Amino acid sequence: MNKYLLSKKIIINELSTFYSFLIGLSIGITIGSIILLTQGQNPIEVFSLMLKLSIGSVKSISSSLNKATPLILAGLGISIINSVKLWNIGAEGQIFMGGIALNFIYISSEISNPNLMIIFLLASSFIGGAVCILFPAIAKVLFGVNEIITTLLFNYIVIGLTVYLVNGPWKDPDSLNFPAAAYVSKEVYLPTVFGRLSYGFIICILCTLGVHYLKEKSVFGYELRIAGGSALTAIYAGINAKQKAFVAMLIGGGLAGLAGGVELLSQTHRVSTGLSQGFGYTAIIVAAITGMRPFGIFLVGSLFGALTIGGSVIQTMGVSSYISDVIQATTLFGALIAQFFFTYKIIRVSEDV
Amino acid sequence: MFDIQLMGLLNATLQAATLLFIAALGELITEKSGILNLGVEGMISIGAVTGFMTAINTGNIFLSVLVGILSASIFSSLHAFVTVILKQDQTVSGLILTILGLSLSALMGKKYVGKKLPVKIESVFNVDEPKNIIEVFLNQNYIFYLSIFLMIFTAYLLKKTMFGRRLEAVGEDSKAADSMGLNVNKTQFIATCVGGGFSGLAGVYLTLSYVPYWTDNMTSGRGWIALALVIFGGWKPYRTAIGALLFGFLEALVPRLQTYGFELSPYLVKITPYAITIIILIGLTIYKGGRTGAPSNIGIPFFRESR
Repeated sequence: MNKYLLSKKIIINELSTFYSFLIGLSIGITIGSIILLTQGQNPIEVFSLMLKLSIGSVKSISSSLNKATPLILAGLGISIINSVKLWNIGAEGQIFMGGIALNFIYISSEISNPNLMIIFLLASSFIGGAVCILFPAIAKVLFGVNEIITTLLFNYIVIGLTVYLVNGPWKDPDSLNFPAAAYVSKEVYLPTVFGRLSYGFIICILCTLGVHYLKEKSVFGYELRIAGGSALTAIYAGINAKQKAFVAMLIGGGLAGLAGGVELLSQTHRVSTGLSQGFGYTAIIVAAITGMRPFGIFLVGSLFGALTIGGSVIQTMGVSSYISDVIQATTLFGALIAQFFFTYKIIRVSEDV
Repeated sequence: MFDIQLMGLLNATLQAATLLFIAALGELITEKSGILNLGVEGMISIGAVTGFMTAINTGNIFLSVLVGILSASIFSSLHAFVTVILKQDQTVSGLILTILGLSLSALMGKKYVGKKLPVKIESVFNVDEPKNIIEVFLNQNYIFYLSIFLMIFTAYLLKKTMFGRRLEAVGEDSKAADSMGLNVNKTQFIATCVGGGFSGLAGVYLTLSYVPYWTDNMTSGRGWIALALVIFGGWKPYRTAIGALLFGFLEALVPRLQTYGFELSPYLVKITPYAITIIILIGLTIYKGGRTGAPSNIGIPFFRESR
């Protein structure tokens, strides 16, 4: 009679998350193909069209990267908060709050210098996101209230607030029956670098580098890791763990808010319930699947942007766009399963030991 | 006239609450074992679509309910496999389960959008226009009564049976439970699948009674409300039921506010239960010194060697 035990591998391959992701992707594509076959579609045809329309030209690559921008920004925020071992499930709400704060500042001020105004508006969206997580952060550090639950609940509150604003005080009379706020003026649109690629993506690259530096190279990042690692070590090292956690949460929430601000100024140009299409939730998964590494978030986020664009354009072929959601989800499950084999080994022991 | 309106409101409250409560009760059982499953929304969708498909094809209500429960339960075993057996992160796995459930159910139900049901879960006693509270209660369907039974049964199960005590031991301190000889993995796996089955039942109630048709994303956030309800109820079945009535009341009230002549924005009214839940959560944490009723091991994978 044999028994099986799990043991954590001592040496884990540096690139294991990358490999797991590739394994997951192949599982996702396989399952996606099977579903396409059952729907009477040719998978090779559909996937080649998806590839062509998501990364086949400068225009499509820039659309994919634009789509990836809010995912990456929110994912970076989640990774900062996770360095103190806390979860932020509220990125979705923070994205909306970023948009709301931006629009609030926009309608209550006048544009004299558009470039300065854009910076000012993006800063206000960052602050909006930070304000959105302020309450869960205070509840966490002062009373120890579980942040997973409070940040999750704040999503509903902020989305409810958004629905209220776009149906009530901010409702644009010209939007007919569609509940949305008025468009912002063209002057404050984020300009494009080339093709359709918005400057938002440049902001995204800068934030990735910044977060990488902050987490891996700076004293602050080191203190965050200690604060998240062991309460006792933090005390010995003279680090105020609660203060660090608080600051990390505000920065993380701010980045998600910035994601909303960038999305508003570059894509939707107005506040509506369509400002985020679940970016906040996908960002959590992207961040987690890459082991919270900024460059990993950047790469996987970009890929997911492409997958979303590819998924939305294959609708013209009569293929449901939900296929790309299924591929995303099965890719992620596949990656989680593969990750297990990189981090654990199964030992067989005989019962009579 | 006002009376009939009031009875209509009560009826709608009970219907909305039943759906939320069943899903929340399932999640409560799962969470008691220390497993957090954020995939409720996806599991309800799977139960809703498979139940609906079975009803269209066979016209057999009993079979539809059974298929809905079983398929959601099997679907949730994916979460159990990834988090319990493979020890991966529960938050991540649950969120993926939501995405997968919503998209998979949309694909499966594509051909069923707009189809009319040949059958519907009938009310126990068909009362045409309920005039008093008793008649409103009698007008509810079998699943409403089943949910009351499940509430009492779950409360009994958790407090008085070996299974319940085992569940709580695993959820509170899986390492101690393990050294006492309990099979932690098995308990958590079963609890997750049972929770999935409850969500499936909620899904069947949604498509076969509450709104008898199928469209994509018709769960419209009810799974997330169920998650909030568990917290509101402090991981206790009876308190969760009170929470379900409150959330159900607000869901029923919102579309009726204007007919009552209130100027209150229905959108802001919808937020209040969430705000109340947060306030209750913080209040509980402060007054009970962190004892909100949450299982201590929630979200933490059990790994024997990390003792």
